[in-house]
Amino acid sequence: MFKPLDKLLVNPVRLMLVSVLVKVDNCDFNYLKQITETTQGNLSIQLKKLKESGYISIDKSFENNYPKTRCSITKLGLKAFEDHFINLKNYQNLKL
Amino acid sequence: MKTQDQIQLINDTISKTKDNLKSSAPNFIFWGALITMMSVIHYIFPETIQKTQYSALLYWIIIPIIGMALTIIYNIKTHKKKGYETHIGRALKIIWGVFNMAWVLLIVISAIKHQNPVHSILFLLGVILLITGLLIRFNPITFGGLVVITCSILLVYSSSVSPILINGIAALLGLFFPGLALFYSKSNV
Repeated sequence: MFKPLDKLLVNPVRLMLVSVLVKVDNCDFNYLKQITETTQGNLSIQLKKLKESGYISIDKSFENNYPKTRCSITKLGLKAFEDHFINLKNYQNLKL
Repeated sequence: MKTQDQIQLINDTISKTKDNLKSSAPNFIFWGALITMMSVIHYIFPETIQKTQYSALLYWIIIPIIGMALTIIYNIKTHKKKGYETHIGRALKIIWGVFNMAWVLLIVISAIKHQNPVHSILFLLGVILLITGLLIRFNPITFGGLVVITCSILLVYSSSVSPILINGIAALLGLFFPGLALFYSKSNV
């Protein structure tokens, strides 16, 4: 039985974000911007969507008077990524 | 996006985020060089280092604590520059952080009990190096750990060997040379 793909993770930027956060314990906003090669505004929007869905947690602080944003994946996000990846593999193996 | 494209995107993104544990090589090199030099100086000039009852203890506490402060500052700066911390990186940070506290505690306890802590510290160091080498899959550090453990066992069973000299040899072979190997390693560690 094929399950529908996660609508949140079908977006390429959000998929990249979650992929990075699966690999690392935590990372900052600048690193995510570097990896995803997207604009600051778009990155903020995508991170907000992932946070609202409970897939990631965001920690905001200040360093030398500059805002510092650190992100990490939640258990829910990890489960969602695993399910999404399994579903992708199932669709890939589908023989028509 | 097609399923194949999504899978490819996941693979490409994950492969971009490397563990980059080479940045920890200066820690091994620094500590290997420091402990080796301190051991050599203590071995050559014992009357100077052991001038008073507590001078050797202060020598072996104050200088390493200064070293710890320097490496902590270096590691914090490296971490900030990198922008991320991998799971292995975090595990190693915790392991070495606990080791730092443990060796200070061992020195304090040995000072109170008037015992030589060299074999205990070396054994602990050897175990931590072995764990590190196995975790990051880097054989020079794994072998370095085994060498240090061997040195600690040698100290237990051989009373004729100078603990200070063995300490220096262990630091050179277990920390300094593996650190250099990690620094110049071309593999994706």
